[in-house]
Amino acid sequence: MKMNRQYMLAFVALVLGMMLSVQFQTANNPIERDTRDIWELRADLEEEKKRQQMLNEEIRKNEDLLHQYSSKGQESANEAMEQALADLKKQAGLTEISGQGITITIEPFNEGLVGGDTPVPHLYPDMLRRLINELNRYDALEMSIDGQRVVSRTPIREVNGSIYVNNEPLSSFPIEINVLTDDSKKLHQKIIASPAIEDFIRENFYVEAAVSDQIMLPAYTEPLRVKYMKQVKEDS
Amino acid sequence: MWLPVLSLIIGLFLGYISELRIPPEYSNYLSIAVLAALDTLFGGIRAQLQGTFEDKVFISGFFFNILLAAALAYLGVHLGIDLYLAAIFAFGVRLFNNIAVIRRLIISKWNDNRKKA
Repeated sequence: MKMNRQYMLAFVALVLGMMLSVQFQTANNPIERDTRDIWELRADLEEEKKRQQMLNEEIRKNEDLLHQYSSKGQESANEAMEQALADLKKQAGLTEISGQGITITIEPFNEGLVGGDTPVPHLYPDMLRRLINELNRYDALEMSIDGQRVVSRTPIREVNGSIYVNNEPLSSFPIEINVLTDDSKKLHQKIIASPAIEDFIRENFYVEAAVSDQIMLPAYTEPLRVKYMKQVKEDS
Repeated sequence: MWLPVLSLIIGLFLGYISELRIPPEYSNYLSIAVLAALDTLFGGIRAQLQGTFEDKVFISGFFFNILLAAALAYLGVHLGIDLYLAAIFAFGVRLFNNIAVIRRLIISKWNDNRKKA
């Protein structure tokens, strides 16, 4: 009789434990339903394939580099390292770079044309950020705003009514944005019709974009603070 | 005593590795069921300590309370009244009562033992 009671208690405790942990899991990470339709799934698949290809290429490149480091003598290993360092600096935007691209000029509407009662246009950092995002979406490679190179860590802020890019205030209008790209005509056409440019027009700015064969972008000069990366300890 | 504790741990583990998750609209029912089960378990412990434990009452109470609580919640959802609050209130009060009685019983037992020693 006593044993029977033990089993019963054990059974109840088992059920209770299962219910508790299921409830706990449900409360902590609820089910997220996948509501993508077939086209979205296809697009996502395509995206993942591209990513895989990119990762594969990167692996191959790094393997080549490793091979170069290890196979040849000290001299050539140094050379390879310097080459890699230069490549990284170029990627991070620490070097001057030139090429074909487009130049976008932003200036306030000429007051004389539209009459005196138009409000003074105000530039918001969000507009610039949106423009940068759209440029990136249209395959822009590198860009600079008013002589400030835009890198992955470039801050665009509004401080006391003026816009700061890379912690440097923008000079007075017109503001020039230089963008490097592989296909400048295509980028030009796309950016003319982009919603980001329409935002500028809505705020009473006059935006002009011109294709140019030779654009020079300055290097990023601020120190790059690395917060979340650590040096790999050597083993093996 | 070790068998129920062990099976509680096994149950927690099983529930954890099964990765079973219920849709959020049913999580109310499960939470009430958990409360009912806890209430029954503590009621059982109390009855055991008081010497009034009965197997049939215990096991039928376990399932019946869970089903009743879930049914009440279901009815509440369809009537637009938060009837599950009634179940939560009832079970909550009983849970506290049971635990208080268990505490008293354990303390008095401990006191008796000390007097004997």
